[in-house]
Amino acid sequence: MNGLRVFFSCGLTSCRALFGWVNPYVFIPILVVYPIAQILFFSYLGRSAGVESDTFFLIGNVFCAASVAAMFGMGQAVGGERRFQTLPLLIASPVNRLIMYTGRALPTVLIGFLVAVIAFVCGAAILGVHVGEGEASALVLALLASCFTCAGLGLCIGSLGLRGRSVGLFADVMSGGLLIISGANVPLEKLPDPVQSLSSIVPLTHGIEAARMVAAGAGLSEVAGLLGKELGIGAVYLTIGLVLVTVFEREGRRTGAFDRF
Amino acid sequence: MRSGFDISAMLVWPIILASIAFYLLGAKESPRLLFAAALGTAVMMMWAQVIVGAGGSLDNQRVFGTLELLVAAPVPLVSTIAPIMIGSGAFGVYGLVVTLVWGRLLFGIPVMIENWPAFLVALPSCVVAIGLLGLIAAATFILYRSAFALGISMQYPVWIVTGLLFPLSLLPAWVGPISWVLAPTWGFRAIREAALGGPVWSSIGMCAVVSVAYLAISLVCLAYFERLARDRASFRLA
Repeated sequence: MNGLRVFFSCGLTSCRALFGWVNPYVFIPILVVYPIAQILFFSYLGRSAGVESDTFFLIGNVFCAASVAAMFGMGQAVGGERRFQTLPLLIASPVNRLIMYTGRALPTVLIGFLVAVIAFVCGAAILGVHVGEGEASALVLALLASCFTCAGLGLCIGSLGLRGRSVGLFADVMSGGLLIISGANVPLEKLPDPVQSLSSIVPLTHGIEAARMVAAGAGLSEVAGLLGKELGIGAVYLTIGLVLVTVFEREGRRTGAFDRF
Repeated sequence: MRSGFDISAMLVWPIILASIAFYLLGAKESPRLLFAAALGTAVMMMWAQVIVGAGGSLDNQRVFGTLELLVAAPVPLVSTIAPIMIGSGAFGVYGLVVTLVWGRLLFGIPVMIENWPAFLVALPSCVVAIGLLGLIAAATFILYRSAFALGISMQYPVWIVTGLLFPLSLLPAWVGPISWVLAPTWGFRAIREAALGGPVWSSIGMCAVVSVAYLAISLVCLAYFERLARDRASFRLA
């Protein structure tokens, strides 16, 4: 019961802290305006270049929007503690680490999902893209799978917050890399072979591919394999993240690095 | 800037944006178009550095309690804030070098500067104009603790309406007049026309005109917002 309380209270407090302690108004410029503008920018760039359709860029960038929320949120869930000098208190608490960090991951997954839904609806309305109701449920599953994977990678990034500062910027760079590596804005076959190999093990790639297949008329059963791969990659990142958190926490205690900024 | 994470953000973003532009626009197989895209990416980085980088730097001043000292210093506030903005814009020159080198090495895009003297004038004109546009935004950074978030959200909209990577003719007609009052429009035109040919001096002149206008507006805004922030005692609110 105490574990459940810690899970939810840690997640809620961390989430509120991420958006300025008490007021969620930061949410609108970063997580509503920014992703919609990003969708429009790349869609118009695609139109200008005569490459792919608006649906291609809409889906790719909606997933990227979810990744920003999930990865940056998870990165800041630890990095923000250092900035506000509460990291030593957090580390000193006798709470189960698995519960504490997964509790922080849950709001970022949900926020990532919410951001993606808002961006999708607004982006589709502006660009005139129509996706049938029958395809919505499969798209939602693909999106949730990708949010989970991004939260896993976000935990890996967040663990770096136990070692250094400005981890949020690093999360920003990683999410920027996904704009290209995941195939969100460039068709994968245009990328060099090493990048294509890398794309198969990063978050979003399989989720985006599944979502584009669904938008093109594929059924859930046809994309189940891709969703399974996306979830599997997420589980691997989550495991690595928990190991890194454990190792860096021990190392931070040894070197007294938690107070440094 | 001591943090490796800070530096990685500076190093990687120009490469990411330039690569996407090169891969997408590469389908048209026009070296001039790709070179113009490289220049557009550089101006994008200048704006990003001003609106996000400088905004973040002011945000840090607030968090570390030095914003009050800056405001209390016996010099005009604009003389302490403007260098931060223009310095951030100048970092966009690094973005220009990176995108040109990246484009040359990986995509074989030739570096073609038709009018070097004009280019050397256009580049600082662009930096100053964009930095001074950021100075207007900085007035809000002084007042609001979450203005940094507002700055982040202003990256893509400005990139879109100033036609840095695609022509404004793709956008609705009402976007045109908005682009005329934004420095990246004229800064990009000046750099592109110096490099690829065109009426470069009129674009440089427009950079100077908007710079003067921005300076005048920012002086009024800074004075007003500074007084408001003093009244509300909000410099310390982080």
